[in-house]
Amino acid sequence: MADQNEAGRLKQETALQKLLRRPEIGSFTVMLIIIVALSFASEGKSFSALGLKNNIAIIAQYGIIATGAAVLMIAGEFDLSIGSMIGFAGMAMSMMLKWGLPFGMGEATPFTAFIFTLAMTLIFGWLIGTVVVRSGLSSFIVTLAFLFFLRGVTEVSFRLINKSTQISGLPDYKEESWFANLLGGDVFGWFYDLWFMLGGNLNRKGAQWVDGFDARFLWWLIISAVAYFILSRTQFGNWIFATGDNKEAARANGVPVNRVKVTLFMFTAFCATMFAACQVFDTNTSDAAKGNLMELFAIAIAVVGGTLMTGGFGSIIGVVFGAITVGLVANAVFFIPAIDGAWFRVFLGAILLAAVFANERIRKRITGGI
Amino acid sequence: MSDPYLRVEGLVKRFGPFTALGGVDLEVYPGEVHCLLGDNGAGKSTLIKTLSGVHEPTKGKIYIEGKPVKFRSPRDASDAGIGTVYQDLAINQLLSVTRNFFMGRELKGSFGTLRMDEMNQIAHDEMLKIGIDFSDPTQAVGTMSGGQRQTLAIARAIYFGAKVLILDEPTSALGQKQQMGVLKTIKKVRARGDIAIIFITHNEIHSRLVGDRFTFLALGQTIGSGTNSEIDDEEMRRLMSGGAEMGDLKQELAAI
Repeated sequence: MADQNEAGRLKQETALQKLLRRPEIGSFTVMLIIIVALSFASEGKSFSALGLKNNIAIIAQYGIIATGAAVLMIAGEFDLSIGSMIGFAGMAMSMMLKWGLPFGMGEATPFTAFIFTLAMTLIFGWLIGTVVVRSGLSSFIVTLAFLFFLRGVTEVSFRLINKSTQISGLPDYKEESWFANLLGGDVFGWFYDLWFMLGGNLNRKGAQWVDGFDARFLWWLIISAVAYFILSRTQFGNWIFATGDNKEAARANGVPVNRVKVTLFMFTAFCATMFAACQVFDTNTSDAAKGNLMELFAIAIAVVGGTLMTGGFGSIIGVVFGAITVGLVANAVFFIPAIDGAWFRVFLGAILLAAVFANERIRKRITGGI
Repeated sequence: MSDPYLRVEGLVKRFGPFTALGGVDLEVYPGEVHCLLGDNGAGKSTLIKTLSGVHEPTKGKIYIEGKPVKFRSPRDASDAGIGTVYQDLAINQLLSVTRNFFMGRELKGSFGTLRMDEMNQIAHDEMLKIGIDFSDPTQAVGTMSGGQRQTLAIARAIYFGAKVLILDEPTSALGQKQQMGVLKTIKKVRARGDIAIIFITHNEIHSRLVGDRFTFLALGQTIGSGTNSEIDDEEMRRLMSGGAEMGDLKQELAAI
C-alpha cells in the first residue's frame, strides 16, 4: 500500500541517535563546555563550596523567571514585564513589612506581605493576559507598556510612602518566621554537611565553611519540575503546545486558547514574585531598580534552552541547561578577576544568536522542512 | 433505501444584501458518498459552514434523522454528529500524532495526568482502520505526508463520533499518489456503512471514482442532482461548469 511505504520511509533510530536528536542536546553541550572551561579558568574556585553556592544562587534566579518566560513562549506569547514585576513585587513586600499592610490592616508578617503581594501581581498578570487576548494586540507591545507602567508605579510608590527608592535594614525575618526562612533561608544543608564530613568545605580556620544553598535553589527545582510535569503529562500542557503552534487549529478542536494564555501570563507574574520574595527575605532589602533587564535575560535563556520564538515547541530541561550556562558565565568574573565582566554580554549575545539558528533547524526538522 | 441521516431543505443564507445560498436541498445517507460539486463562489463553503454550525441559516431547515435541529456553534454541530475536516485540517505540525488526535479532548487519568499509552494505542488503531499504519504515533505531524495528515483528521473526526463526515476539498493540493490514498480512505469509511460522507471537490474523476450521489451548486442554487448512474459524463461537465453548455463555451472561445 502506498501509505504504508510512506510510513516505512521514516528511518528507525537507535537510542543513541534519538538522544543526539533531542532538542536539549545543543544547550546541554554548551553547558558542559562552560562547566569544564570555567573549572580550569578559575582554578576550581567556581566550584568550591562557596563558589558553588553563589553560582547556584544566580542560576536559580535566572531559572525561575526563565521557566515562566519559556512556558509562555511555548504558548506563543512574550512577557517583557517580568523585570518590572520583580521590582514591583519586591517593593510591595518590603514596604508592607516596613510600613504595615494597606488599608490600616495592621502589622505585616512575612506571610501576609507575601500573600498580599502575590494577589496584586497575579491580578496584574491576569490583566496583562486579558488585554492581550481581548485586544488581539501583540503581547510584545502590551507587556512593553506594563514594563514602563509597573516600574513607574514602583518608583512613585516608594517615593510617596517611603521617601526613598530603597529599603534596607529590615529585621532578619528568617530568624523567627518559618515562612521567611522557606524563601530566604538555607536549603540542602545535608549536602554541605556531607561535604564537610568527607573532609572538604573547610574555611581558613578549618571549621565548616558553607551551611547550605539559598532557598531559591529549591524553588527553582520545584517550579521547573512542576512546569515539566504540566507540559509533558497533563491536558493543560497539551493545550499550551497546541495554543502556541496553531491557535486557530487549537480553537477548532475545543482548546480554550484565551484561558491558557491568561493563565500563563499569571504564571510569569508568579515566577517574578517568587524571584522577588527570595531576594527580599534573603537580603532584607529592596530597591526600585531590582529586576531591571531580567525579562530579557529570561527570554534569552528560554531561547538558549531551545524554546522556539514562534511558539509551539520548547523544553523545560533545555531551559534548566540554559539557566546553568548563562548563570555560570554571568558569575565568572568573580572567579576569574582578570577578565572584563562585560564579556558576559558578548557571550550571551553570541550564544543567543547561535541558539536561534539551532532552534530554527530543529523546527525545520520537525515540520519536514517547511 | 434507508432514511437520510442529514436532510437540508430550502436552505437560505444571506450576508446583508448578498445571498450566498438561495434555497439549497441536500440529502445525505449513511454509507454513501455524496459529492458536492460546483465552481468557485457557488456556495459550497457557505453550505458546509452552515452545516457545521459556523453560520446560522437565514431560512430553511436542517434535519438530523428526521428531527429538525438548530446549530448555534460548531460545538452544537459536532455534538449532533457532524464532523468537518477543513482544508487546513486544524492540525498542529509540531505536536505528535497522538497529541493532535486528542487535542482538546485528551484522556485523563487520576490527578489530571494524560493516559499517554492508551492515547497512543487508540490513535494508532483508529488510523490503521482507515488505511495507514503509522508505526510511531509519538512522531510529530510535520513529518507526515499531506495524505497522512488528511487521514489523521478523518480518523479523529470519526473517533469523536462523527456520523456525517464533511470533507472540504481533501484531494486538492496533494500529489497524484496521495490523492489516490485519500480516495482509498474515503472508500474505507464508506464501507463501514454507518457514516455519511459529504465530499467537496472540483475534480470530476475523483467524484466519479467514489461518489454515490451528486449535488451541483451554482450561484447559491442547486442546479442538478442525482445518483452516479443517473448522470452521464456530458451532463456532469455541463453542471460542473455552472450549467453552461459545452457547445456554447466552445463558440464563445472560438469567437475570441
